Amino acid sequence: MGRDFQELKILIIGSKSRDIITVEKYLLEINSNTLISHVASLREVKATLKKTSKFNVILLDLSLLELAFSETTIIEILNLSHNTALIILTDVEEQKQAEKMLAWGVSDYLIKSELNATQLSKSIYYSRERKKAQRKLYESEEKYRMLYDESPFPMWVLDRESLDFLSVNKAALKLYGYSREEFLSMNVRDLWVESEKEVEKTAKKNLDTSFAVQIRHYTKSNKILHISIQSNPILFGGKEARVSLVDNITEKVIAEEKLKLSQQRFKAIIQDGSDLVSILDEKLNYIYLSPSATNILQINSGEIIGKNAIEFIHREDRPEIERKIKFIGKVKSFRLPSYRYKVGTAEWRWLETIVTDLRADPAVGGLVTTSRDITNFKIQEQKLKESLERYNIVAKATSDLITDYDVATNTFTFNSNVFEVFGYKKKEIDSAREWWFSKIHPEDLSVFKDSLKEIFQKGKKWINLEYRFKCADGTYKYILDRSYVISDHVGKPIRIIGSMQDITERRNYINTIEQHNKRLREIAWTQSHVVRAPLAKIMGLIELLKLEKEDIDSAEEILDNVLISAKELDDVIRNIANKAEEESK
Amino acid sequence: MLEVIIIDDDQIVIFIQKKMMVNHHIGTNPLSFKKAVKALEYLEKERNADKEFLILLDINMPGMSGWELLDHLEEHEHKGNYHIIMVTSSINKKDKLEAEKYSIVKSFIEKPISAANCDKIKELSEISHFFEKV
Repeated sequence: MGRDFQELKILIIGSKSRDIITVEKYLLEINSNTLISHVASLREVKATLKKTSKFNVILLDLSLLELAFSETTIIEILNLSHNTALIILTDVEEQKQAEKMLAWGVSDYLIKSELNATQLSKSIYYSRERKKAQRKLYESEEKYRMLYDESPFPMWVLDRESLDFLSVNKAALKLYGYSREEFLSMNVRDLWVESEKEVEKTAKKNLDTSFAVQIRHYTKSNKILHISIQSNPILFGGKEARVSLVDNITEKVIAEEKLKLSQQRFKAIIQDGSDLVSILDEKLNYIYLSPSATNILQINSGEIIGKNAIEFIHREDRPEIERKIKFIGKVKSFRLPSYRYKVGTAEWRWLETIVTDLRADPAVGGLVTTSRDITNFKIQEQKLKESLERYNIVAKATSDLITDYDVATNTFTFNSNVFEVFGYKKKEIDSAREWWFSKIHPEDLSVFKDSLKEIFQKGKKWINLEYRFKCADGTYKYILDRSYVISDHVGKPIRIIGSMQDITERRNYINTIEQHNKRLREIAWTQSHVVRAPLAKIMGLIELLKLEKEDIDSAEEILDNVLISAKELDDVIRNIANKAEEESK
Repeated sequence: MLEVIIIDDDQIVIFIQKKMMVNHHIGTNPLSFKKAVKALEYLEKERNADKEFLILLDINMPGMSGWELLDHLEEHEHKGNYHIIMVTSSINKKDKLEAEKYSIVKSFIEKPISAANCDKIKELSEISHFFEKV
C-alpha cells in the first residue's frame, strides 16, 4: 500500500494474541512509519490516553475479556482520546455487539478472521476521514450556537405545538428581564399583552411555515414592548420547534405614534382652527389656502388660487398694507395692521395677519400668511370707543367729581374736577382709599364707613350719602356722594364708580333756612303765650261784663280794663310784627 | 273755714278772678297778692291757723315763680290744708305734667277763668264740703 508516509500513531487495546500480532504486521505493511502502542487493561488505557491523546486511530479487541465493554466505557475512551477514531476488532460471534457499538460513537468494526491489510488500511483511512468531517461539522455547529447565543437580537426556540420555551439567547434574557431558568419554565403566551391573543391563530395557521408578526409583549417588570417577530420552523433536538427572531421596535412605534399625533394635531390646527393660513407667491398671488378659509371667508380655495390677495382688501386699507408689504425680504416675519377683507360680493370682514417669509423653505416656497377674523372684536372695540367717548364727555361736562375706585388695587382715579372742587394739587392727592377717609369730616366718617360696610358685607349696590370733605385750604365742603358698585360674577364688589356733587351752597342755604325756621318757631311759641295773656284777660272781662251789666259802676270798671287789655294786646302784636320783620332780614 | 287767695302779677287778672270768686260764691272776700313771695309770707304766718286755703296760682311771675312757691308749700307739715289751682294763660303740656308732681295741686285752669271752671272748683272732693247747698 504505502500511500501514507506520514507517521501513523496507533493504540491497540488488547492482549498480545496471534490476531493482534497479525494486525501489527498489517499495520507496518500499510505504513512502515507506524508507531504502535499497546495496552491490555483499562487502567493502562486511561494512563496512556491521559499522557498523550495524539493517536490517529485506536483499535480495540473485543476479546479482551478483562474489560466490560459497556457504553460508559466506550464513551470514556472516546472522551479521553478526544474523539479519536475507534475501530473494534471482533470475532464473528460478537459481531452483533460490535454493531451496537456503532451507535455509541465507534467508527467501524472489523472481523478478525476476515481481516487483511487492505481492509484494515481502508477502515483506518475511512474512519479518520469520517472523524475529520464530524469534527468540522461539530465546529460549524458551535459557530452557529455562538451566533445564536451571542446575537444582539433576542432569539428563542419554542415547541411548535405547546409554545413552551426550549431555548433563549442572552439578548432575550436582557430584553425581558427573566433568567434563563424562568424563561425555560414559561410559555410564550405568558409574554403576550391581553389584546394580542390573535397571534395564536397566526401561529397555528403557519404551524410548519415561516411567518412574521408585530405584537406587544410584557417584560418581567410589566413594561410593554412593541416587537416584530420573524419565526421559522426548525427541528430542535429532534423536536418540532420554531426559532423566533425578536426585533424590539418599541421606540420606533412610540416615535411613529408621536409623529402621527403631531401630524393629526397640525392638520386639526390648519383645517379646523380659527386661523386662516394661506401661502402667497412673491407677487402676492394665492398658491395655497387652508381649508379653514372655506368656513371663515366662505370662499372655495379652488376659486382663489392664482388670484392676487390685494384685490380682496378694502381700497381704504390698501395703502397701509402696501406700505407694510415693503418689509418682505427685509424681515422674516411681520404683522399687518388690521384691514377689511372682501367676503362674497358685499360683506367685509376685519382680518389681522402675520406674514412669514418662507420663500427659502423648499417645503413652502412662498409667503405664509396667518390671519384671524377680528370682525366681532372690531365691532366691540368701536362700541367701547363710543362708550368711552361718551363717558369722557360726560366727565368733562359735569361739574361733579367722578371717581373710579378699584377694590383689588385700592386705587382711586379721579377726573380733573378733584383739583377744582377741593383745590388740591396733583401731588397732594393719594389714590388709596385711606386718603379719602382722612379727608372726611370726623363727625361724618362713621356714617361713611357704615355705608361701605353695607356694600362689602351686605351686598348693597349703591351709596347715596352727604358728608363733609376737607379742602386743600382746610375748610370743609358738603358733598353728595352717589356711587354705584360694580360686582364680579359672584357679587363681590370690584369697582365703585362715584359721582360727587359739591352741595356746599345748597347745604348752607338749607342750614340757614333751618336755623330761621327754628328761630321763627321759637318766636311763634313765646309770642303765642305773650299774645294769649291780654286776650285771656279780655275774654275774662267780657264774661264778667255779661254777669254784671246791670251794675253800671262795675261795668264801667270792667270796660276800662277791657280797653287797657286791648291796648296791651295791640302792643304785643306790633312787637311780633317788628321781630318777624327783623328775622327775615 | 276756706280762705281764697289769688296770686298773679297782673292787676286785671286779680280783678277778674276776685269778681268770679265772689259771683260764684267761692269766697266772699278773696285775698290777693301780686308777688308770690308776699303770699308765702302770709301763708307762713297763717300756717298754724285752723283754716284751709284755696289758692289760684299763676306760673310765670317776676321774682318768685309759681313753681318756687309750690316747692315751699309742699314742705309744710299742714300741706293738706292747701288746695292749689294752677292758672295759666296758655297750657303747656310740660307745665301740666310738672304740676301733677305736687300733691297740693288740685286742678289746672287755662285763663280766662270761666263760670264752668268755678263750678268745677266747687266740686273738687277735698273742698266740696265747704259749698254744701243748704
